[in-house]
Amino acid sequence: MATVRIPLSVEEAQPATSGFPQPVRNAGSNFVISGLAFDAGSTETVYFKRRLAGYGSGNLTLNITWYADTASSGVVRWSAAIACITPNTDSQDVETKAFATSTDSDDTHLGTTGQRVHGHDIVISNLDSAAAGDVAWIRLQRIGGNAADTMAGDAILLEAELSYSDT
Amino acid sequence: MAAMDETNRRRTWLRWMRDNAEPVAFTKADLRAALDACDDWIDANQASFNSALPQPFRSSATAAQKTLLFCYVAMRRRGAAMLRVEEDD
Repeated sequence: MATVRIPLSVEEAQPATSGFPQPVRNAGSNFVISGLAFDAGSTETVYFKRRLAGYGSGNLTLNITWYADTASSGVVRWSAAIACITPNTDSQDVETKAFATSTDSDDTHLGTTGQRVHGHDIVISNLDSAAAGDVAWIRLQRIGGNAADTMAGDAILLEAELSYSDT
Repeated sequence: MAAMDETNRRRTWLRWMRDNAEPVAFTKADLRAALDACDDWIDANQASFNSALPQPFRSSATAAQKTLLFCYVAMRRRGAAMLRVEEDD
């Protein structure tokens, strides 16, 4: 039994047609930090696309790394969902395919340093009948308008990783 | 000039968060409470501000002109970058 880990780059993320995070490129003291800045007051969305190679069973875990643009406290409400299509088997129109029910997950700023990097797991249990070899679309959102989201300012997504069991 | 309604307060709150580039140690709710208090304070003190303005400006300027003056002074006090003029170049 092994865990399959698939990196997801912010540079490959596809923005929603409206309500999408702003690509940012922040000049650090020693290197440039690229990311996607999710707004504090609205829902913003990006999509990733991957083949679920070797998927066995169980939940998918979307691990994200992010940091706060200005805040040093508060909660960010993230949300993730997937949509899966089995090539040659599913007759579903890909352009009208819907996502399974999303999973909302809150991450709390750990304080001490405002722009520290946070890692957070979103466990996706609504799997849309995922099977090995499926093409999967992954939707990631910040629900900035939700009352549970209390962190002022942008949350900047650095990168993400999708993982699952191969058995 | 009346206090802002909920829509305008919310939009001002969002704009502030989008524009702010400095570290903050408060939550969105804390900021919103401060914004509400700021708007309420302006509403409660506009007569005092008006009486502080010298003549003939006080009696001849419109409410909008007085408001803009207040905003310009506050912005320039915050820093030249907030209210840049040709003479700064």
